[in-house]
Amino acid sequence: MRALVIDDSRAMRRIVSSALEGFGYETRQAGHGREALDVLQEGYAPDLCTIDWNMPVMDGLQFVSAVRANPAWRALTLMMVTSESEQGQIVRALAAGAHEYVIKPFTADALRDKLALLGMLPEEAVL
Amino acid sequence: MTLAPDVAGRLAIPSLIDEATVEAIAGEAWIALVGEDEVLVPLPGDLPEDTLSAWVDVVGPWTGSVVLTTGRQTAAELTRALLAEAAPELLDHEDVADAFGEIANVVGGNVKAALPGPSTLGLPEVGPAPAVRNPEDVCRIEVLWRGQPLVVSVQGALPSLPVPHDQHQHPHQNGASQ
Repeated sequence: MRALVIDDSRAMRRIVSSALEGFGYETRQAGHGREALDVLQEGYAPDLCTIDWNMPVMDGLQFVSAVRANPAWRALTLMMVTSESEQGQIVRALAAGAHEYVIKPFTADALRDKLALLGMLPEEAVL
Repeated sequence: MTLAPDVAGRLAIPSLIDEATVEAIAGEAWIALVGEDEVLVPLPGDLPEDTLSAWVDVVGPWTGSVVLTTGRQTAAELTRALLAEAAPELLDHEDVADAFGEIANVVGGNVKAALPGPSTLGLPEVGPAPAVRNPEDVCRIEVLWRGQPLVVSVQGALPSLPVPHDQHQHPHQNGASQ
């Protein structure tokens, strides 16, 4: 399975990518929503996007809305991974089309549990 | 928790969040981001002269900044711990700003969630610490990480209000203008 990790922090992209690769994902990274849309438009077809909220150029919520507006990306699973932890923000993200919400700081186990709930753990990570 | 606005109706941070909550938020961030054994010890220490700060701004019913300050060398060590095996042999300022800024972002986001909302969170900034505008609108903790001092300051963006003059202190109290 493939994942696109979207975060403006290189350190956080590394942490999320490392966890996902530990579960068996192949990962690519983008520094903001606009860059992530470019990656998708170039034809990269991930199964999962992890998305930070506060980013320059295009934030996570705008990215989710843009993906949901394009029927070609309907199958893409969108998971917010963000320090925005107000209840209202979570509701906004889910209403915009995100499937799941992980609040930073998180552990690899917490990320794994969320992926399992979505049925997005690669088989080797389930065993 | 009792919300006690000042005379202008502004909420000061000590009425919204306490040191124990800020300490718990920072401690959780450290364990999750830096490492399971990376404990913040609640003891004061003297910051070195060469410090670096990372902060995020919170704008809402309470407006201010969540500022992390530590020695520049400690910020570099923190970056190495965060990046682990992905850390480059030679760290540049951008590496440190990115990692330290992200820690401030995570701590700040969780502090924001503990405050009355809705609020917005700014992007992380790194540099010399923003000045304390109002000493009454600060919640500050001092901790040690690997024996090195680190300060987390939740500080309001607005200056303190002028002290109201009572009748006896009024410059015209003797009827000089009459």
